[in-house]
Amino acid sequence: MTDPLFILFYIFIFPGFFFLFGYALFLSYLDRKIAARMQQRVGPPFFQPLADLIKMLGKEVINPDGVDWRVFDAIPVVALAAVMTAFLYVPVIGASPLAFQGDLVVVLYLMALPTIALFLLGWLSRNIFSAIGGVRAVTQLFIYEVPFFLALLTPAIMAGSWSISAIVLWQQHNLWLVFLQPIGFIVALVGLQAKLERTPFDIPEAETEIVAGPWTELTGRRLALMHLTTEISLVVGSALIAALFLGGPLLPWTLSPPWLNPAAGFCLFLLKTLAVLLVLSSITVATGRLRIDQLNVIGWKYLASAALVQVGIVLVINYLWVTP
Amino acid sequence: MPEVVVPIGPHHPALKEPVNFRVIADGEKIVRLELDLSYNHRGIEKAAEQRNFIRVLPLLERVCGICSHSHATVFAKGIEEIMGIAIPPRAQYIRTIIAELERMHSHLLWLGIAAHEIGFNTLFMWTWRDREAVQDTLEEMSGNRVHYGMNEIGGVRCDLTPAQVGAALLRLPNLEERIKKYMDILNSEDTLLIRFRGVGRMSKEEALKYGAVGPTARASGVDYDVRRDDPYLAYAEIPWNVITDTRGDVYGRTRVRIGELRESLQIVRYCLENIPGGPIRIDAPKNAPKGEILSRYEAPRGEVAHYIRTNGTDKVERVDIRSPTLANWTSVAMCLVNQNLADIPVIVAAIDPCLSCTCRMVVVNQKDSTNGTDRTNVGIAPDPGDRRNRGRP
Amino acid sequence: MTRPVTIDTITEKMKEFGTVEQVRKNRIRVKTVPDKIHDAITTSQEVLGFDRLITISTIDNGETFELLYHLIGSHRIIISLAIDLPRDKPVTPTTSDLLPPAGIYERQIHDLFGITFTGHPDLKKIILNEDWPGNEYPLRKDWKPNPGEFYGGIKVERI
Repeated sequence: MTDPLFILFYIFIFPGFFFLFGYALFLSYLDRKIAARMQQRVGPPFFQPLADLIKMLGKEVINPDGVDWRVFDAIPVVALAAVMTAFLYVPVIGASPLAFQGDLVVVLYLMALPTIALFLLGWLSRNIFSAIGGVRAVTQLFIYEVPFFLALLTPAIMAGSWSISAIVLWQQHNLWLVFLQPIGFIVALVGLQAKLERTPFDIPEAETEIVAGPWTELTGRRLALMHLTTEISLVVGSALIAALFLGGPLLPWTLSPPWLNPAAGFCLFLLKTLAVLLVLSSITVATGRLRIDQLNVIGWKYLASAALVQVGIVLVINYLWVTP
Repeated sequence: MPEVVVPIGPHHPALKEPVNFRVIADGEKIVRLELDLSYNHRGIEKAAEQRNFIRVLPLLERVCGICSHSHATVFAKGIEEIMGIAIPPRAQYIRTIIAELERMHSHLLWLGIAAHEIGFNTLFMWTWRDREAVQDTLEEMSGNRVHYGMNEIGGVRCDLTPAQVGAALLRLPNLEERIKKYMDILNSEDTLLIRFRGVGRMSKEEALKYGAVGPTARASGVDYDVRRDDPYLAYAEIPWNVITDTRGDVYGRTRVRIGELRESLQIVRYCLENIPGGPIRIDAPKNAPKGEILSRYEAPRGEVAHYIRTNGTDKVERVDIRSPTLANWTSVAMCLVNQNLADIPVIVAAIDPCLSCTCRMVVVNQKDSTNGTDRTNVGIAPDPGDRRNRGRP
Repeated sequence: MTRPVTIDTITEKMKEFGTVEQVRKNRIRVKTVPDKIHDAITTSQEVLGFDRLITISTIDNGETFELLYHLIGSHRIIISLAIDLPRDKPVTPTTSDLLPPAGIYERQIHDLFGITFTGHPDLKKIILNEDWPGNEYPLRKDWKPNPGEFYGGIKVERI
């Protein structure tokens, strides 16, 4: 399992970067198709996200006056690298071979990097719309990160471990955590929607108010890479929720030919992430956009208090049942 | 953040037509607003003075795409009153049907745009799909989806066949159900309520003081509707209601517009079922006697007022167009102060701005022999001094 | 309004400002002079219940400019107050302090006809381009574009 060739294969081909790339494009297609059918439209064909990516990579890169183009080039690459690395610690076909205690915290940290990247892009763009968008992105980060982190903290408390793979293993022996912590599940889903900046939380990118927010001055391959970062974040986020709450890619029992386990686990992984995507797409289609001050109220009043209540319940359960 | 100038326009995704709001904002609150409306000027008022009555109606229709029938009808109605001719009742009914269908398509369009401004794209897609039923009806009746060209001095241009009337009546029940559904969505959808309620509130005194017209004013409780106050076309014979609301914010304006959609549908149904027979136009004299008239009409956006003066020839001496959006701009500027930056598109969209109606000033219209009229159509022509245009006359 | 306002009461009251005629069933036209227009509008608003300005229309009559203020009230009667301004000196006091919507209409009229409204808070261009040449007022009857000038980015080659 620690064979370096296997590790390299895991990281780069499957279920690493190559698979991640393909799966991100597939989930992006599904997201757009589901939204279109709900709005009684036809929707894009299957290869549309790939076509969009290739087209954007080939477009001209425009550097606005006075902007530091080297930093502008570097920031999307850093954001993309962050989310791709985060995916390596999420279990896809079983426990991740790179797992270690505390990789949950690493994944959460890496997933927050794209938002910081957006803020930097907005600030450096020398454009009033981008600046406002960047400020909104960071404000939104402050508002939803607290409930989101708390909601993802409770599985770790209950499973008694800071490693995602260990939490998944714990769920294999006990119940799925979605049944034990329903409030946390809902808060995590809402927090994920806010992290991915999808309606009703697409405030930094509000197209009708501030043109495109921090995305305004991105062109060509920078836009392609940031867009790919968003799509990969969707995969990583859904996989994280599927692993922490829905049991991840492990069946409650082991199957007889030993190679069948990873295959079945992979199918489960696909099914569970698709289910999370369905929920997220439905929320996107069915709502309008909130204002940042309204999000402030909702985030602190409802989300954060729900998350705190969930933490409290989990601590009580732990004390009463786990430590006899 | 200190006070910054956020330029909303002239090119901005929130605006469907160019207008320049320079918003002075302090963080997310708006402090002040400067308005510049000159981007859609073409050449209508002066050009109308050089065209005889047959040629001026198509020109006036093109003041605006969405309320094209309004401008043509108000002008035709004014000239007919100066000339002292009465058009046949069938023509009145046909004009009314087209007018109310235009109101329906405009309000459905507006509903989609308002939903799009708050990011609620699902409602946008749904309302525009239902709008296609109205557009199909208009295309069957007049031959075009906008700029119907139905009016002539003395009546209408073409008649409604029984097949067209039947097809239109068949489309109405489905539309009625969809409109009811939109009212339900408005009453229950949380993000709509939270973005529309309390935003851009204008009291009744402010609405009267700043001269607001149309659904914007009726949502504040101002009970003016030209169709009832100064009845024209067939409105005096048809049973219908004026919709008002007391809230005065964007939510109230939405309710007024959806209510008007319902009423328009009833009017169209009544007219289609009770349309009288007879001729559709009478011969109008070529010249109009000397006179003047202030002709008013309730367009989808509010009250259109044409002040027409004739001088005994077959051309008008002066047509002074006051479109509803121009009357509503002052109220927008007033109710935008101290609102959030994020609410600008919502509040501006709530008055249903139609900038093509607003600015129709004079542009030099000297067509040179090679270039026809393309430069003068929009008023935003390429700069002849620009090096990209070298070689063009 | 303490008593119902009818056409006759309006006609009587407005006679002190100029000549009054009833042009249609509910339209009244009052011909008055620029000095009295302020008082006429104040009387209409306070005494006769006209609470809304419909529009301000302008006509070029050759030697004079004619300005018409159209007001309406909840009694559905429209009153049109007409004043004449000489062509060589088209100056009149502003009414935007009494009727706020007049602010926008007066700016537009100033752009197109060159009529100056004294006391207007901000009479800058609203409907013409910023680079429209200074003293040209397009909607006057005698206006012709000058060849070689740029009007809103369009240059006139020849008349």
